[in-house]
Amino acid sequence: MATNYTDDIGPVAWPLKMVSQEVVEHMLGWNIPEEHQDLVHDHWRDFPAVSKYWHYGLALIYTMLMLASISGNGIVIWIFSTSKSLRSASNMFVINLAIFDLMMMLEMPLLVINSFHQRLVGYQLGCDIYAVLGSLSGIGGAITNVIIAYDRYKTISSPLDGRLSRVQASLLILFTWLWALPFTFLPAFRIWGKYVPEGFLTTCSFDYFTDDTDTKLFVMCIFIWSYVIPMLLICFFYSKLFSAVRLHERMLKEQAKKMNVKSLAAGKEDAGKSVEIRIAKVAFTIFFLFVCSWTPYAFVAMIGAFGDRSILTPVATMVPAVCAKIVSCIDPWVYAINHPRYRAELEKRVPWMGVREPDPDSVSTASGATAQTQNAAADA
Amino acid sequence: MLDYLSLAFVVAVKVFKKTTPNGKVTVYLGKRDFIDHIDYCDPVDGVVVVDTEYLKGRKVYSQLVTTYRFGREEDEVMGVKFSKEMVIGNEQVVPMVNAKMELTPVQEKLLKKLGPNAFPFTFTFPEMSPSSVTLQPSDEDQGKPMGVDYCVRTYVADNEDDKGHKRSSVTLAIKKLQHAPASRGRRLPSSLVSKGFTFSNGKISLEVTLDKEIYYHGEKLAANIIVSNNSRKSVRNIRCMVVQHVEITMINSQFSRHVASLESREGCPITPGASLSKTFYLVPLARSNKDIRGVALDGHLKEDDVNLASSTMVSEGKCPAEAIGIVVSYSVRVKLNCGTLGGELVTDVPFKLLHPAEGSVERQRFNAMKKMQSIERHRYENSLYTNEEDDNIVFEDFARLRMNEPE
Repeated sequence: MATNYTDDIGPVAWPLKMVSQEVVEHMLGWNIPEEHQDLVHDHWRDFPAVSKYWHYGLALIYTMLMLASISGNGIVIWIFSTSKSLRSASNMFVINLAIFDLMMMLEMPLLVINSFHQRLVGYQLGCDIYAVLGSLSGIGGAITNVIIAYDRYKTISSPLDGRLSRVQASLLILFTWLWALPFTFLPAFRIWGKYVPEGFLTTCSFDYFTDDTDTKLFVMCIFIWSYVIPMLLICFFYSKLFSAVRLHERMLKEQAKKMNVKSLAAGKEDAGKSVEIRIAKVAFTIFFLFVCSWTPYAFVAMIGAFGDRSILTPVATMVPAVCAKIVSCIDPWVYAINHPRYRAELEKRVPWMGVREPDPDSVSTASGATAQTQNAAADA
Repeated sequence: MLDYLSLAFVVAVKVFKKTTPNGKVTVYLGKRDFIDHIDYCDPVDGVVVVDTEYLKGRKVYSQLVTTYRFGREEDEVMGVKFSKEMVIGNEQVVPMVNAKMELTPVQEKLLKKLGPNAFPFTFTFPEMSPSSVTLQPSDEDQGKPMGVDYCVRTYVADNEDDKGHKRSSVTLAIKKLQHAPASRGRRLPSSLVSKGFTFSNGKISLEVTLDKEIYYHGEKLAANIIVSNNSRKSVRNIRCMVVQHVEITMINSQFSRHVASLESREGCPITPGASLSKTFYLVPLARSNKDIRGVALDGHLKEDDVNLASSTMVSEGKCPAEAIGIVVSYSVRVKLNCGTLGGELVTDVPFKLLHPAEGSVERQRFNAMKKMQSIERHRYENSLYTNEEDDNIVFEDFARLRMNEPE
């Protein structure tokens, strides 16, 4: 475990100095002034202060994530909001998700600053800003995942009229923000729960350590609200979607049988690939990402409130925060990169990225064009 | 032989043709619309002309393909495709497999004219195969329209499993349509309903009778309505509409569209004790529904003279629920508005909307009408005539949609 000794003391001399009490090993929270000491829960004071290398390492990770998030989510927002072919109600949700993810990204420069100070900058206010960003974007992102699952279920199960209108989509987006609000602002205004530093004491989140019913109830509620409900809904919608696809496939096969058809394909190139398996793969990826991003956090919070706290070392509690942030960088890519039109648009606008996608609209014309050039070459 | 003579005598035979992008294979089809006469269906008969030197031992295959599209292309997410392609006929055309196949008159004529490099092919539609239907897209829909369509695809390949190359393949879109039986029947469809009210005695009764069971496209439909009011409510107004019911069997969903409607207050309110007899005239037309999404049409949109989808007919002994693809039916729906508290009295009378049968008097009239419309639209102006006097074959280039292609 890292300690905070001054650099001029060699490791060998360290035990001696300890004995002679020349150096005091700092515990977490030592560098927070007296008047803000109440910010730090006693649990953290049992751990030695985190070495500056840990801080710098974390700052480095966050810087990289920040760049990834800005480029990924930024390109998604840019392309989805400026391409005409991508302006559909369903894609509004993808933009919404990218906005939430960018908001989570705003946490990252704050952390980098904090890491270099090795403490929270701004104390309570800084803590609140950091945690509001995290909480709003985290819960909002989770519920947007649900809405995307719902929208996909609607479009796929009833291709004729299932598509949501723009108004419905806007209302659903409003709903995602409203869903994220209560557990963001209740702790911020100290109405229920509060935001406190955690882990290295450079990040902030809701309080899951205070040992009273109020906090425990709060942790329980936020666990259900922002983790259990979205997860169940995601599972529900994707499984419904899956069975809808299976039903359609079965009916098509029956119809094909009536006409004595052997091969049944969506297009020449798709022959042999099962739609069910493709769907299951995508659905599982999204579900898996959701689990990856929020299960560690949920685990830490539940342990903090109800379990054996001694395993919650500062490093252990930083892992979930990093997980959530990594997923926020990957999320837009998973949704967007599965989108053929997005890839086509990406190829058009950012050719150096090396995305190769046959434009869904102009497959035939494109091949016609090549045929013409070949012909021209042949003629010449 | 008589048939052949009469053809030559009456008018030039029109033949549609289309060539592969590389110009080596040309497909000729006698027609683009193939009629399902319920008890039998026109075969798809065509001729392939190929440069045999170009083949170098390869073969020419033809396929009859039907494509179902039941969702918009732009809504396809997660790798789901809202379309299915089914190969319902597959034949090796060159070299000929069955040298003794029976030829249709058009094939005979074409083979005679096009010489030794011409090879015939014939497909029969499977008994159950659905009719061509296109669902009208809305303005903002991109991509291919939804519906059921057919095409004949011809390609050059080494063996049957080989899919061939784009440059040596050619696809001709065709339609499979249904025509009315020769006689329209004498039965007049009608419906009689009545409605009582919770808090008052007496009933309002409504009887709707149509003047025919089968209507032809563009024909005026007369619905005779008799309302007798024995209740204490009064009828505020009467709405009469033609409803097109569309069932997409492949995804088990259905919807309906009002393709013609009329609202009347004449003779209204029908007060307690009074009665009304009135005839409503309606003409369901594709033209008047151009901006309604999802209206089912007969075949492709590119043609100006497209009409509403014909009612789906099933052969005798089969139940309508067995029909596949997109099933279309029609009814006249009459709605009486009995005031805010009284609610509505609604009844549906089913009827059929079809093309007149081949050879009937109506058919000739229908064709004449259609031809006039076509002339107005200069439909044939751009078409390619290579009219040769000796045997009267007119070749119309099938690829009207393909843009200027180098030779």
